[in-house]
Amino acid sequence: MKVGIVGIGITHFGVHEEPFYNVAYTAARKALEDAEMERHEIDNVVLGGYDVSVGRTISNMYTAPAAGGYLKDEIRVSDDAAYALALAYMRIKSGIFDVAMVLGYGHCSETPIELVELLSLDPFFHRDLGISYQMSYAMQSYAYKMKYGVEDETAAEVVVRARKRASKYEYAHVREEVSVDDVLSSEMVIFPLRKLELPPWSDGCVALILAEETIARRINPEPIWVEGLGWNTENYYMGSRDLAELSSTRKAGEMAYRMAGCDAKSVEAVEIMDLTPYHHLMALEALGFAADGKGGELIESDFPTNSSGGALCTNAHGTTGLFLTANLALQIRDGCDRGISHAVSGYAAQNSIVTILGV
Amino acid sequence: MVLRIEAKWEIPYVHSAGEHATKFFEALKEKKILGVKCPKCQRVLVPPRAFCERCYVDTDEWVEVKDEGVIETVTINYARFTGLPDPPYAVGIIKLDGADTGMLAYLGGVDLTDWKKAHEKLKVGTRVKAVWKDRPEGRITDILYFKPVEE
Amino acid sequence: MRRAAVIGVGQTKFRTRRDDKTHPELTREAVSRALEHAGITMDDVDAFVFGTMDPFDGINCPDRWSSTAAGFGKPFMKISTGGTTGLTTGIAAYQHVASGLFDVVVAVCTQRVGENVDAQPVLNTAVDPIYERHSGVGAISVAAIQATVHMQKYGTTEEQMAWVSVKDHENALKNPYAHIKKKIGVEDVLSSPVVSSPLKLYECCPRSDGSVAVIFASEEKAEQIRDDPAWILAESSISDSYFVGDRPDLAVWDSLSIAGRRLYRLAGIDDPKKDIDVAELYSPFTIQEILELEALGFAEKGEGAKLAEEGVTFVDGDMPTNPSGGVLCTNPIGATGLVRLGEASLQVMGEASNQVDGAEVALAHAWGGTLQFHALMLVSSHKKLRR
Repeated sequence: MKVGIVGIGITHFGVHEEPFYNVAYTAARKALEDAEMERHEIDNVVLGGYDVSVGRTISNMYTAPAAGGYLKDEIRVSDDAAYALALAYMRIKSGIFDVAMVLGYGHCSETPIELVELLSLDPFFHRDLGISYQMSYAMQSYAYKMKYGVEDETAAEVVVRARKRASKYEYAHVREEVSVDDVLSSEMVIFPLRKLELPPWSDGCVALILAEETIARRINPEPIWVEGLGWNTENYYMGSRDLAELSSTRKAGEMAYRMAGCDAKSVEAVEIMDLTPYHHLMALEALGFAADGKGGELIESDFPTNSSGGALCTNAHGTTGLFLTANLALQIRDGCDRGISHAVSGYAAQNSIVTILGV
Repeated sequence: MVLRIEAKWEIPYVHSAGEHATKFFEALKEKKILGVKCPKCQRVLVPPRAFCERCYVDTDEWVEVKDEGVIETVTINYARFTGLPDPPYAVGIIKLDGADTGMLAYLGGVDLTDWKKAHEKLKVGTRVKAVWKDRPEGRITDILYFKPVEE
Repeated sequence: MRRAAVIGVGQTKFRTRRDDKTHPELTREAVSRALEHAGITMDDVDAFVFGTMDPFDGINCPDRWSSTAAGFGKPFMKISTGGTTGLTTGIAAYQHVASGLFDVVVAVCTQRVGENVDAQPVLNTAVDPIYERHSGVGAISVAAIQATVHMQKYGTTEEQMAWVSVKDHENALKNPYAHIKKKIGVEDVLSSPVVSSPLKLYECCPRSDGSVAVIFASEEKAEQIRDDPAWILAESSISDSYFVGDRPDLAVWDSLSIAGRRLYRLAGIDDPKKDIDVAELYSPFTIQEILELEALGFAEKGEGAKLAEEGVTFVDGDMPTNPSGGVLCTNPIGATGLVRLGEASLQVMGEASNQVDGAEVALAHAWGGTLQFHALMLVSSHKKLRR
């Protein structure tokens, strides 16, 4: 039995005046309209997003009804909503449920997310050092850059391409195009990352409707199938791992490829949660698209990565990964045969999840 | 002895109420309580919200409800908790005249020293009326509390 | 549907504070005990599901640190749904196995409420900052408003509610992991200070530190690993609308009735009183056990209060409820639901510390939000319901 995506709802990403639960409702409505379905046809909701980022201790209290969960089965992953899609897949695959509303929410404009993330560090060994979330990604970037001799210009080129693609993607947050010179002359914020090499903090929601195979075919003659899923976690202690590589992404990718019965060669579209341009390259390598340290070569080619502009242009803490998966689903609807999306969470990409979609 | 470290979370938030709730708070400035009517189930929802959770449709018909209603339930808190109001204070759910849902609010105008006596005066079904701040600011605390209406 | 079972349960001792261990060390204590109980090692585990309620421990997403003791290098997923977290973590782990993606999955929940100087302000932050947070409403007040209505509508008395507490405290004395261990009588409950009227101190749960792990396995693996696994018969969960003022009648927990009916239908249960031998319910406040027994079909509406008073819910009664001492004596909030499942599983394995004679079918329950969520799981010593 397969599980397919039959409805896609994406809100505008940027700064929202409406509270996150009203934005969530908008996304879920859009997904239902896209699938030409009603709320009652959903039998469970699977939510993904963080509490402290939105300032509510049990934030699913707000998003469960917003996702259409009134008197329905409900569950929430407190991580990137890409995990919610994996859980929804398992809930359907097991035969327990038929149709799931997967809803991811991120709302960064109401509080400093750096501070929220700092509080995820233990209060003994790490928090007092004031290492910010971005600093952990910067350390990782530097380790990778030094190990493989990646040039500043290569990183800048990643940003230029991301912005160019985002400028054409209606849901993206930061859509102004920039040049290599703009990137390189932007202020050094967290060495080695310059201002234009850091992602924004965005507000927005994504809703995807997943359905069991036969039901999916009733709803949509051409569902987008979830072919592979993989997720994994790395050591929390950053000092205990090789920061120059994304090992949790590598393991997540291996699991997803195994499940889908394919490898990187058959993948036509890639959406990567690139919180820095270096992570863009590291993820491409970890997912088997380039040899270690050779990710930069892909940038020069026409390799189809991040048509959404990626996390560098849209980053709603809690649903950045599902935002990328949703864009991948749109690409498959537009004729692409198979694609892969990737998300990370935690300091220095501790957790990774990979989703393979296909026709 | 093990090491104990004191820590405190101080995270500033600026919460956006959204268009619907903003309308409600604007009305409070004029000592008016607004609800929204669901176009499908016709229930008047107070506090107002942008969509009916049951019918899953947008709500946009505004209805003024009375600042009077009945107590659906009540409790009086006698314990002191960090950062919460000083005890004793009474909280209840009030169904306002013209509304189909209850609203959480303070109850007052009653001596709370003895909980049993206080509950006698704040029984389920008791009619209550809002006591407003002299100069409402457009916040939920503009309604100081609801107090029993003398019959 | 792929059949699955609980094959191992591990708990830490629950205490106000566990100063002796860090977050991951506490997690490890529970996981190690569960592995030992199942007779397997970390190498046999395919994936982890971790549950906690974030702000209570003073660490946001403490799972990231705690995963060093549970799952690092393996698929790891974090669940958080409010008071139901423990049980929804179990449900997610069960679904990991039922989907066929994994064979052996550990659900683990660690919560350190003791690190928090006071839990109620954290619970208050669950309440909407726009409309309701100012009211100072926390978990105790929402239970108290249920009690007010139930007493007025059905004539439930303070003494009847006190009996629930007496029963749970007596049960906890036999549970080596329980937090509050104190023999009390009805008079002690009635004379304890009123916290949130009409609820008194001995009618309210403590805040506990601790961890619990429950291991799930596929049918094939479960049978290889042990002779007496606790088979999962069904699970169910439900969300109500957000506002507590929307509940049509606070004297009944109708959303739990709906979730219960769905659960019974899935498991083939016609008469819960007859078919279910023991229940571990999420009742941090006396009144809630009464409401839950009614909602789940163990008592008629308005009659639930008689059960403890008449001895029905005591361990030797017809419907033993919370033989572990329940949530009233131990409440590591986001872990509590998984403790319910762990204790229910031990009952049908015949290994509970306060064993109900011949228990074959056990129910685990949790609620969360401001009376918004419920989660339920049903386990049995048999693969299917036997009547």
